[in-house]
Amino acid sequence: MLSLDIPFFGTLVLCLVLISASYTMAVSIGAGRGRPHLLPAARWGTYATCALVLVAVLVLAYAFQVHDFRIRYVARYSDRSMPWWYLVTSLWGGQDGSLLWWAFLLSGYTFVAVRWLRGRYSELQPWVIATLMSILIFFAVLMLFAANPFATYIRTTPGDGEGLNPLLQNYWMAIHPPTLYMGFVGWSVPFAILVAALITGRLGNEWVRAARLWSMIAWTFLSIGLLLGCLWSYEELGWGGYWAWDPVENASFMPWLVGTAYLHSVLIQERRQMMKVWNVFLLSLTFFLTIFGTFLTRSGLIASVHSFARSDIGQYFVWYMAFLLIAIAALMIWRLPKLKADNEIESLVSREFAFLLNNWVLLGMMVFVLIATTFPLLSQWMRGEEVTVGPGFYNKWMVPLGIVLLFLAGLGPLVAWRKATGSKLLRAMAFPVAVGLGVALLQVLFGTRFGFPAVVEPTEIYDTATGTVLAWMSAVAPVVSFATCAFVLASVGQEFWRGMRVRMRKGEAAATALANLVSKGRRRYGGYIVHVGIVFMFIGFTGAAYDVEQERALRPGESMAIGRHTVRYDQPRMETDPNKRMIFTDMTIIDKAGNEDGQVAPAKFIYRTHPQMPTTEVAIRSRPIEDVYVIMSTVDPSTQRGTFRIIIRPLVAWIWLGGIVLLFGALLGMWPTGRELLREEAASPRRFRFSPVTAVVGLAILIATMLAWVGVASAQNDSSSTLHAGSVVINDPVERQLFGRLLCQCGDCARLPLDTCACGWADDKRIEIREQLAAGVEPTKIQESYRAQYGAAALAIPSDEGLDRALWAVPIAAMAFAVGFIVLLGRRWQRRGAVSSTSIDSDPDEKLEYDSRLDSELERLEES
Amino acid sequence: MFVVGAALALVAALVSLWLSLSLALSDELVAGARAQLTTDARLGLLTEKENLLQEIRDIAFEHDAGKLSDADYNEINAKLRAQARHVLHELDVGAGPFRDEAEALIAERLSDEG
Repeated sequence: MLSLDIPFFGTLVLCLVLISASYTMAVSIGAGRGRPHLLPAARWGTYATCALVLVAVLVLAYAFQVHDFRIRYVARYSDRSMPWWYLVTSLWGGQDGSLLWWAFLLSGYTFVAVRWLRGRYSELQPWVIATLMSILIFFAVLMLFAANPFATYIRTTPGDGEGLNPLLQNYWMAIHPPTLYMGFVGWSVPFAILVAALITGRLGNEWVRAARLWSMIAWTFLSIGLLLGCLWSYEELGWGGYWAWDPVENASFMPWLVGTAYLHSVLIQERRQMMKVWNVFLLSLTFFLTIFGTFLTRSGLIASVHSFARSDIGQYFVWYMAFLLIAIAALMIWRLPKLKADNEIESLVSREFAFLLNNWVLLGMMVFVLIATTFPLLSQWMRGEEVTVGPGFYNKWMVPLGIVLLFLAGLGPLVAWRKATGSKLLRAMAFPVAVGLGVALLQVLFGTRFGFPAVVEPTEIYDTATGTVLAWMSAVAPVVSFATCAFVLASVGQEFWRGMRVRMRKGEAAATALANLVSKGRRRYGGYIVHVGIVFMFIGFTGAAYDVEQERALRPGESMAIGRHTVRYDQPRMETDPNKRMIFTDMTIIDKAGNEDGQVAPAKFIYRTHPQMPTTEVAIRSRPIEDVYVIMSTVDPSTQRGTFRIIIRPLVAWIWLGGIVLLFGALLGMWPTGRELLREEAASPRRFRFSPVTAVVGLAILIATMLAWVGVASAQNDSSSTLHAGSVVINDPVERQLFGRLLCQCGDCARLPLDTCACGWADDKRIEIREQLAAGVEPTKIQESYRAQYGAAALAIPSDEGLDRALWAVPIAAMAFAVGFIVLLGRRWQRRGAVSSTSIDSDPDEKLEYDSRLDSELERLEES
Repeated sequence: MFVVGAALALVAALVSLWLSLSLALSDELVAGARAQLTTDARLGLLTEKENLLQEIRDIAFEHDAGKLSDADYNEINAKLRAQARHVLHELDVGAGPFRDEAEALIAERLSDEG
């Protein structure tokens, strides 16, 4: 293939993708504008475009395998020593390739969606295809004019490549980015269905039903992608634990928040034909945020540990986002008359209203994250001052909002649709509230004895009244969070029990009742199981309040005690492979009774291509109650003396368990009903056919394969790497609070807070600040002098004064306004609610006949 | 492997493009396309019927589970059933042209076969 000139051929294929997608879009529009015979042509055009994208991906993959270093992208992200699987992951390791990968996933979704649409929603089809092609055209233009993965060096071709960043040379690279991209790209399909509905004016439940499965698939991938990112980040020392509120993490989190709001809100439209404008807005916003997030990541405008280099593609995204905003707004305004609600909310005490509140919190969280993520840019633009918004800000504000959201996840299932009487609701809440209060009481009484005190040391991010309020909120957060978790679990358990009891009254045995209950209400009970998964994750997040860490230098045979464990350093050893040298330090974990409770081997890897950047390999011993997280900071080859940092991280394993439960619940919710299976069988008894069944079964197989891969990879290597070679020692809460507010200014590292950054500069700075603290200097004075020396951007959290205050005041004001608006709207709807009657009701015979048909239909539904 | 895959994908792309162009340049309405367009008109009503049936079933379940009072259940059930009756009626009215069309097609086919 080399004789074909890979760079030229690859670029040619990208040109063909652009031409083919443009042609298909034109043909689709023709089909949508009254020439239906063009629809099959559009379908084949779609298949051709998707196949061409596949050709481009395979050509680039081939270029990596044959080390064609004429291509800049290949030379920058691979070298000759890399094994073939890392050469495959290099496809999405850099900006240009990841755009091609994005286009590839989009073409995969497009292919499956168009196959699935055959024989369905034929009036929507042309516009769905046209919209998907328009997105593909954008990415093709981007690659051809700004980030061509096949671009070559102008002068000399290097003999070897620079190699993939050592941080990215692990199995997570093969799993996390593709999963997250699947989540991002997946929202294109429901968005395309929505655009088709807006253009055709078919804005009833048809598009909602068509988009349902696709939005759930996208949401599931996005959730799992985020979680896998947490897992990777957790294993990376220096990436700030499992979640660091990095702009790129936020960019993925925002569409998840809005997508979650949509999945709840759309249930109201399905049942009540209400909130049509709101659902159009939410789905459009979710898709828009996937593009906005990509823009944030790719433009290099905001500093991030994930960011790609600053490039020209930002302006393309700006134009595309402007086009999206104008197009969506114009379509919405045009179709406003058709988006009028057919019904009204009957009571403020109803499931519908609980979902509205859920939307309020989710959107409020999104606004918080959006403002905080873009605040550095806004500050620079408005007053020319660079600022940083660090994890401390997010943690303080998002924890209370998260707990409110969690509470609503428990409250929602207890409220009836349409109308619930206060007494019925109070009766339904009695047991879950009692369980929640019981857990809180137990924690207050016995929590300290077991290492989980109800209230933790308050830490302030501001030296103002706001800071004090936030500090106390976070201090009591553990007990409130555990109590709310218990409330939600009890609420979900009660829902299962009440449902089973209804069926058991009809004579079913308990196990049969449970099986029938779930199989006949998969979406509802799948959703409840997703809530249980979220609760498990909150248990894990709450555990972070009880982290304990310690650092010591040890000789072989020496031990250090931490928490309920003793960790013994046994010996160092060295291994090599063609790619790197690996220095391990074998350690044994010993429990309180003196028995060996596991082995860990933290290490340092020295890569052939990056010898100046030895990576630190974390070793983790994970148990449901706590993780023992061991880092080897240094080891002296002559004396074998090593410096180790050990962190006890309680309950982290619950986050991953929650992810598995969430996945199970999501798959259950998506799993097709017996009727759908039968319908598919009847429609096409012999040949393979794309349908909800194939889509969900395919998704289940894909996710199971990925999880199996994670398992195998974890078994082979339970550690991961980081470029941070040192470690951090924190002596007391004052230090933790102060270091958490100051960012490292060495200029080389990712500007992490001093309580996390392990580079040499940060180490020296900590020593200097410790001396100042010992001399009696106030922490606020130290902070002010740090700011004066390095600028406002050197503080992890902006001040609580002037424009900086807008950071929290704007979202809070927006949320306060929104809640007032929701209550007013609900009351107005309530007053307007009216019973609809039909002409059939005037004829008793006809009414009887239709009632009888309804009863048979209901029986059919019950049996399916 | 990558070369073979790329070659196969390229062939698939060219064949699909050729099929697409030949279909785009012919004016024939592919069999089934018209039928799909006409059935689409009923899809909205069928979806609404399914949703109403689901909702009637769900409120009965919520009533049995103790979340809805008898009075609320009776009121909401009556309202939903009225809506469902209306949708069934609309479907019946809308089925008329389909019946006529089906009968015309059968008659045409029978006359073709002699």
